[in-house]
Amino acid sequence: MDQLTDVLTAISHPTRRAIIGQLANGPARFLDVAKPFDTALNAVTKHLKLLERAGLIERRKQGREVIISFRGEPLREVAGWVHEYERFWNERLDKFEQYFNEKKQNNEKKEKKR
Amino acid sequence: MNDPKKTIEVKVERTIPAPLAEVFDAWLNPKVPGNPWNMAEKLLLNPHVDGFFYWKIKDTPHYGRFTEVERPARIEHTWMSPSTSGLESTVTLTFEKQGEDTRMTLVHSGLPDTDGGRSHDKGWNYFLDLFPKQFADASRMEK
Repeated sequence: MDQLTDVLTAISHPTRRAIIGQLANGPARFLDVAKPFDTALNAVTKHLKLLERAGLIERRKQGREVIISFRGEPLREVAGWVHEYERFWNERLDKFEQYFNEKKQNNEKKEKKR
Repeated sequence: MNDPKKTIEVKVERTIPAPLAEVFDAWLNPKVPGNPWNMAEKLLLNPHVDGFFYWKIKDTPHYGRFTEVERPARIEHTWMSPSTSGLESTVTLTFEKQGEDTRMTLVHSGLPDTDGGRSHDKGWNYFLDLFPKQFADASRMEK
């Protein structure tokens, strides 16, 4: 598989995104990474393997400990995949839709008051 | 380098809770939030066939020419910006009745598939902005 697919797979799971969020604050020991999750340690290991395959984390040994750190570079490829205008028009139309939703809600409130 | 002659198309759809004509008119009204004209620092807008627009945002000029204005169903205009590498891209909007609502489809075609168009730096910031929300969602799901 290509790296873009690996990165998209890696960030498609909420637990893996939470791990990235945690590691974005700085490197951590394996057990500290696993701590916030209710899942078994080997499930966390599987998530870490997918993140490593995507190049989003690095592991290094420090004595007995394994220290895991975040690498942001592969996310650039994902960012580049989303076209500037795709983002622009989505943001515009979200606002446009929101304007009409609020207008409809206000009209409904006025109707109820009558 | 990507081939600058290769073009791509962006398609965005939304269902708007209002009748056709109201949505059509709102799209061309600079006072309505969400249409591109609303966020302009400087705007000249003449939404009639062969009418032009000049739209400046963040000191970046955009130009275009309206090629179709068929109230309340369709708007088509060209779109030139630094991101289109001087080429005329095309923005087409179609509005269709969907019960009491309006189904709105925007297609931006003829966009050069270049690094400028893909705008790595902006995309990067966009993703970083997105992440905190996703992390918040993720932590809720875990608990």
